[in-house]
Amino acid sequence: MSLKRIRYLLAIVLLALPSLPAWAELVVVVNTRCGVAAMSRNEVINIFFGRNRQFFNGIEAQPVDMLDTHPDRARFYQALVGKDLADINAYWSRQVFSGRTHQPAKTATAEEVIKWVTSHPGGIGFIDLAKADARVRIVYELKPAVIDEPKRMKIEP
Amino acid sequence: MNSCMTAKPGLTHRVFSCLLSVLFAGYVLNALADEQPAFSLHGFGTLGAVRTNSDEVEFVRDLSQPYGASRSWDARVDSVLGVQASWRISPQMEAVVQAVSRYHYDKTFTPEISWAYLKYEPSPNLSLRAGRLGTEFFMLSDSRLVGYSYLTVRPPGDFFWSLPFYSINGADVALTLPLGDHLLRGKLFYGISDEKIPFVDKQWDLAGSRMVGGYLDYQAGGWQFRASYANLLFKNDIPIEGLLQAFPSIAQQSAAYLTMNNTRTHYYSLGAVYDSGPWQLQLMLNHVVQGSRAFESSNSGYALAGYRIGPVTPYFGYSWVFSKSHESSLNPLTARLTAKTHLDQKTTILGARWDVARNIALKAQWDGIHGEPTSVLPYRWEQPGWGGSMDVFSLTMDFVF
Repeated sequence: MSLKRIRYLLAIVLLALPSLPAWAELVVVVNTRCGVAAMSRNEVINIFFGRNRQFFNGIEAQPVDMLDTHPDRARFYQALVGKDLADINAYWSRQVFSGRTHQPAKTATAEEVIKWVTSHPGGIGFIDLAKADARVRIVYELKPAVIDEPKRMKIEP
Repeated sequence: MNSCMTAKPGLTHRVFSCLLSVLFAGYVLNALADEQPAFSLHGFGTLGAVRTNSDEVEFVRDLSQPYGASRSWDARVDSVLGVQASWRISPQMEAVVQAVSRYHYDKTFTPEISWAYLKYEPSPNLSLRAGRLGTEFFMLSDSRLVGYSYLTVRPPGDFFWSLPFYSINGADVALTLPLGDHLLRGKLFYGISDEKIPFVDKQWDLAGSRMVGGYLDYQAGGWQFRASYANLLFKNDIPIEGLLQAFPSIAQQSAAYLTMNNTRTHYYSLGAVYDSGPWQLQLMLNHVVQGSRAFESSNSGYALAGYRIGPVTPYFGYSWVFSKSHESSLNPLTARLTAKTHLDQKTTILGARWDVARNIALKAQWDGIHGEPTSVLPYRWEQPGWGGSMDVFSLTMDFVF
């Protein structure tokens, strides 16, 4: 392969990089009537890891997770705590077999997450930003773990 | 199931029957169930093989095992199978029964009921449990048998060998208090043991021994810190009558000197865990103060670091345990028996966990144990010539379902 050709290919790759939207933003959504407007990363972690079962205002948090087969699950935990699903499943096996807490229900699709969140007063789940609509409230945005993240348009809800 | 019940009669049996009736009630009241299934069945297990390079001692996972591994591969030490059934009776009430089969005190894999409790949560961050419960003397000690849940092949021995207590019949209460986006958690437990520990060719019956303890735990992002305390008030003496009979003139006074009855052993521990991104770090320290002259008080600890690279997490650790010899003893016989509980060794741990498929992990580990020849408590059947050091090679496959 000639040097010129390598340069050409490299240029294509570099040009393509910023426009790779494969890692669209994931957001954490809650029931619009639960009284929570925004959450910190640690608060989100505590709830999805079953460590804290209440929102700051005392309402019981009712998290919903996704099945391993849905790509959003791996993306969510990678962006939230930098962990692989194997680590997350190992964590839950410790909780379940020592009877500390039980694992959240798991759904197969983003639409089911929204249904769970709207039908539970303390419902909280994660979905792709593009799927979040007026039925739910965004309380946390997960930035994909990418260095020099390209700027992208913010969609105001 | 029948064998579990006949193997563990008494309180366990009653707790179990009581739970069964509650479970049945839960089934009838199933109409209350939410979208989440009211009944769930899960399990965990490990297939393991371990060998050492010494025939002078037998290597055991902890003192609940009567025989262990030496130069040839042994599948008994680490292999375990557990099944857990849980029933959500109402949003606040849950019943859980867990049976475990592992190589234990009576040289068999006879299943035992390790957990059987009712949990009541009057508010989301307060939980009350009563029934048969796993003991949580030290951090992670209530999930010691669930290999899939941790990094190493088995919990570091220097830290856990002296802790062959798994279950109590009793109650515990746990409370979580959010402080900003950090969490303060506390737990108190109380219970009575009905376990047995192998002792030479006999069994030491812990039945009636009372355990009480608790911890405070602080979670700040990926960091978790814990201070815990527990004590154990022993009921029964160690079965040494046979050994003492050979020395009739001093048998009675020696037995009185080494009595466990009504003596209290205190367990203090501090732990710090960092678990975020590819890193897993653990530092644990414990201090055990024995109430009886039959055992030696000890200090132990371990540090462990793992870093995930793709599906593989290599890890490195170092553990140690030292016990303090009694300065004097009643007679040479008691001195000799007490010396059998001496601990003085350090272990280097090197291994890797490979998450080969969903819910399956393969692990390979080397333990380099460097100890004094007098360090014999962690092992079984030490022979003359035991030098205190050996290599331990382990392979396991852990799974959950």
